[in-house]
Amino acid sequence: MTSQYTTFPTLSDRQSGKADVTGMVPFLFWILFLANVVFALVNFPNIPEWRWGDLFRTNGFTLLLFTTVSFFSAIISTYAKSYFKERGQRSKFMVLCLAFTFAVLFFIISEHLLLLLLGWLLMGLVMSRLIGFHADWGEAKEAKKLSRNYFLVGSFLLGVGLLVPAAYHNSITLSAWTDAIGETPKYIMLLSTFCIITAALIQSAIFPFHKWLLSSMTAPTPASALMHAGFVNGSGIILTLLAPILIASNTLDVLLIIGGLTAIIAQFTKLIQVNVKQRLACSTIAQMGFMIMQCGLGFFSAAIAHLILHGFYKASLFLSSGEEVEKLHPKAPPSIRIKWYQGLIVLVFSLMGAYLFALLTGKGMAWDSGIFLTLIAAIAVGQMTYNLVKQNPLNGWQKIVLPPVLFISGIAVYALVYTTVTTFMNGMEVIAAPTSISPFQMAFGIVFLIGFFIMKLGSYRKIPWLYVRLLSLSQPAKKTFLSFKN
Amino acid sequence: MNHLDIDILIDKATEYVGNTWPLYSFVTSNPLSGLEGKHFLRATQEAGSLLDAEMFPKASVYKKALDNGAIDPNEIQELLKEHGYSYTPEESLKIMFKKASKKTENQQHALDQYMVKWLSSFMDEGLAEWQMPYKQEGFFHAWRKLAPYDGSLGTVRQTMIPKTSDEALESVLNGQPQETILKAFTQHLAALPGWTGYIKHRGTNLQAWQKEAPIQLKDYLAVRLWANKKLGFQLVKKNVLENTQDQRAGLPYVWLLAWERSWQKELLKTLKKSAIDVSKNEDSRPDAQLVFCIDTRSELIRRHVESSGKYETFGYAGFFGIAMDYKNPKNGLAQKACPPILDSCYVVTEEADENQEASKIHLDRKNELSTFWHYFLKRMKNMLPSTFGFVEGSGFVYGLNLTARTIFSKYLYRWRSKDRNVYEEVCTPDIKNIDTTVHPEISIPLTEKVGIVKSAFDLMGWKNFAPLVVFAGHGSHSANNPFGSSLDCGACAATPGRHNARMLAKLANDKEVREQLFNQHGVDIPKLTHFLGAEHNTTTDEIVLFDSEVPNSHHKALERLKENLKKAQITATQERLGRTKNSVSLAQLNASNWGETRPEWGLAKNASFVIGPRKLTQNHNLDGRCFLHSYDWKTDTEGKALVGIMQGPMVVTQWINNHYYFSTVDNETFGAGTKTTHNVTGKFGVVQGNGGDLKRGLPWESLFEEKDMPYHPPLRLTVVINAPINRVDNILAKNDSLKSLIINEWLHLVIMDPETHKEVLWKPHQDINTKVKDEKISKPTNKKVYEELSV
Repeated sequence: MTSQYTTFPTLSDRQSGKADVTGMVPFLFWILFLANVVFALVNFPNIPEWRWGDLFRTNGFTLLLFTTVSFFSAIISTYAKSYFKERGQRSKFMVLCLAFTFAVLFFIISEHLLLLLLGWLLMGLVMSRLIGFHADWGEAKEAKKLSRNYFLVGSFLLGVGLLVPAAYHNSITLSAWTDAIGETPKYIMLLSTFCIITAALIQSAIFPFHKWLLSSMTAPTPASALMHAGFVNGSGIILTLLAPILIASNTLDVLLIIGGLTAIIAQFTKLIQVNVKQRLACSTIAQMGFMIMQCGLGFFSAAIAHLILHGFYKASLFLSSGEEVEKLHPKAPPSIRIKWYQGLIVLVFSLMGAYLFALLTGKGMAWDSGIFLTLIAAIAVGQMTYNLVKQNPLNGWQKIVLPPVLFISGIAVYALVYTTVTTFMNGMEVIAAPTSISPFQMAFGIVFLIGFFIMKLGSYRKIPWLYVRLLSLSQPAKKTFLSFKN
Repeated sequence: MNHLDIDILIDKATEYVGNTWPLYSFVTSNPLSGLEGKHFLRATQEAGSLLDAEMFPKASVYKKALDNGAIDPNEIQELLKEHGYSYTPEESLKIMFKKASKKTENQQHALDQYMVKWLSSFMDEGLAEWQMPYKQEGFFHAWRKLAPYDGSLGTVRQTMIPKTSDEALESVLNGQPQETILKAFTQHLAALPGWTGYIKHRGTNLQAWQKEAPIQLKDYLAVRLWANKKLGFQLVKKNVLENTQDQRAGLPYVWLLAWERSWQKELLKTLKKSAIDVSKNEDSRPDAQLVFCIDTRSELIRRHVESSGKYETFGYAGFFGIAMDYKNPKNGLAQKACPPILDSCYVVTEEADENQEASKIHLDRKNELSTFWHYFLKRMKNMLPSTFGFVEGSGFVYGLNLTARTIFSKYLYRWRSKDRNVYEEVCTPDIKNIDTTVHPEISIPLTEKVGIVKSAFDLMGWKNFAPLVVFAGHGSHSANNPFGSSLDCGACAATPGRHNARMLAKLANDKEVREQLFNQHGVDIPKLTHFLGAEHNTTTDEIVLFDSEVPNSHHKALERLKENLKKAQITATQERLGRTKNSVSLAQLNASNWGETRPEWGLAKNASFVIGPRKLTQNHNLDGRCFLHSYDWKTDTEGKALVGIMQGPMVVTQWINNHYYFSTVDNETFGAGTKTTHNVTGKFGVVQGNGGDLKRGLPWESLFEEKDMPYHPPLRLTVVINAPINRVDNILAKNDSLKSLIINEWLHLVIMDPETHKEVLWKPHQDINTKVKDEKISKPTNKKVYEELSV
């Protein structure tokens, strides 16, 4: 039909249909994901365990993780297929995405400690290549170098942490290692724990190891999604796998403190971010801090549930990070006053939320560290109710009905995920090991509450030096922006 | 050195700083607009060396154009000779290939980083929950109070910093000659052209934010120069601006001319053919007439609409001649809806139709609820510790969201587009004076209404009226796209043009307006003619008619029109997307897929602006390369309409074209680089990766097809006017600014004289020497030379 017209010469010589094998990658991931889902559904709740000598093993936990990872890879690679318009970049991304997924798979099914280490190292190396994805961009190269150094140190520390006790016990498989760890001399145990925890903190960009994550925006958006939904979760997995040493060395409180402080500081830092990806990164750090804190309270299965749910959340936000452009009008921070009877509603719903949470998840039913998590759930319900009953377009009965609808469904869905995760983890050494409440923990709980009140009352806005400190803290590494002229 | 002098020097230095537009209303403007008074070659040399930017297409692009026949070998040979080169085209290509640009380390990166940190925090428009303290006091004062807490400059005490920006500048510049100061200002403004351009924009266009947090270029310079001194850097970088006698520019410039000349001849060949072919069938009255924006994307849809039935189409500036702001009922904010070169005189609001008040209130409430819901989610995400509970409670829903948006976006889009025009269904636009002190709460005077309607028909050279006349604005749909507004109507300041279209339709339907049009101006609109607004969705080529007020008598014709527009949508998308099956479905996917970085090509490929009757361009596929404005020289006896078109739409198309040109030749400096690593900042812009200069142009995906292969051929605009030479001459003689644009080669003007049937390039004599080393571009003289274009 266009033949009747004269055509103008153009620049493009469209080579149509040059076969690109990497275009099949998303398809492969969807197949993998569906196969995992079907397998899990068929066998649930008794997931079979398999072992290949001392090298690999699969069980419910690995199935759970791999289903999650293949889901993320499927989503992200499908997204990337239309996202990258340059053929070379598209194939490069697909290859790296594939490599990353298999590095994760390798890591989670490894039984042999050296293979486990290799998987950890590979995840880091592939991720740093994704950060330096645009190879002809000086800043990206610098960011890649920086992150690679972090990951190499992390792998080295994990190596020391694993291999020193392994050498002592002559145990090279993961299960032998965790079985024997209780009888390790104190100094070896402490050294090993220190190294393992540090490696985990580096992976999750917990303060003070956050710089690599805050300098990683040179990665294309889908790579960031993979990083924030997958890579940073490595710490939760390794801490869960190696939980016996944390318990034996009595170092859970260290995780509680580092994780908790990070959660608070990073959340404040998030508030001042003016770039969307930096804001998401700070949020990730805070969420990882919370996840580490859950480990520190002994709730490893809760940590795993958190990292899966956070993965959904953060991948969603990264993949839609282009939606943040919007014309707004300046407005003052909202007033925070509510009337006394509204306060009563908030209190009642908080208590109801706490009860429901404890009932459905089993956390906080006894006088142990689970209380913390229940407390957080209660405050969250309270804050939600508070925002809904405050002046807003909702009418009277909506204000009363909406909060319970939201918190009941939220808690119920969470409880479902949590118990499912726990079921998948059946047969793990440690799933949940709530600790008894110590005065130390109580003191820390108060610190946490103070953070909450400072934020709620908005008094942080009156502390300029805090603003500047957090601003400096969250700057990307010097060489990773504005360091070249093109 | 007094304050006045400093202000004058700053003004002078800002010539080199373009205007950076916010992405929520992204206007494609000329990044070198401050230099339009100079010749293109001169301006590009100066800006090129100051910004370290490429100003011409790469040699590889020229080679490709030559190989594909876009550059005529004869043209380039001739032009090389004409400019005194003895090379063959191949030799000159080889020479151009040798010059590869190289990356250098940014010597001032500590300073640039320091500025970006403070600027982006200060200028944020609501992305951060916790705003920078002391904002209300202005940039300089806020910085002065906060700087002592920041260790990146070493120890800083508040007492070390002068109290005002003037004093700070004085302390730094003390005793320097004016020349040095000007150079320093220029360099330091050009160090972060995106951010300084946005300061400039904010000062004039964003009153609300400027009031909340005032910032001037003077504050920027004061902070920067003070920090510069503290860091121990020199005030002025050496060897910039001095090497303007840049030999590199000569050859690429000649090649650009050759490419443009080749295109002009190609286009004229096509247009001449039409001019001869089409002359019959003029008397048959069309079933409907549709008016589209001059936008290059209209060219394609107009062809397909015309071939789908007995329809006549016109091209008119997409703001439909109404210099207005539109008050968006969804957020209550007024947004500009006319070209940025115009001041808005009117504000248009949505008023409920009779008996529809309840529906409108219902819609308002829905909007209010959705706004509240967003605020609520933001609160939950930001607060401690609700953020942790929120993530756990809602994570699963986000998982569903991931799945739905990845797999089912197309279906969600179809489902949602069912109620896309809800306000349009229950409301009618209402026009008021923008200055509420003049006519508060009442409509504008009848004469103004009549004027708006009349000038539309005058400019387009309208003769007779069909029963249905559709004014179709245009808008684009895309998901997750920071550059969404760059695909909307440029003539409406990057908003969808539907409201202007509806407004004009309403005015044209007005009984009193029609009476006066007939009584005083002799414009006879038949009683049977009904006007209605519409919107052309440029991503899916769907045309949505806002038909809630069409009388019953027209329903049959309306249904037929709707059917045919559907057919046109299918064939148009088939051609545009290059596929024969499911083209509409693919277009809908492009409009809704959150991973789509190129929902449509926008105005890429634009190269010409044709001002003339449709019969000149009809029956030819212009490949979306032309802006088309309807114009009839016979009805415009005094040339008034032509002046209007040249002063308004022509300048707008030149802006768009220059923007596309510079964004293509140096995408990093003038464009936005690749979208894959964009990082939205402050709700209004993007930076690359970890941060840096604010990006001020179009992204790579909108301009390039593959690595180093632009989809948009970077050519300067060729305006083709179908009118007698004398008339154009007279207009240019009275309009210095228009003449200067052409003399300085920011656009080319070709006149197709209908009386003599000759085509000439309007080209005054000038001595641009591309070759000689210390070239001087002499002042252009007024002696006109017409260069005949033989096609």
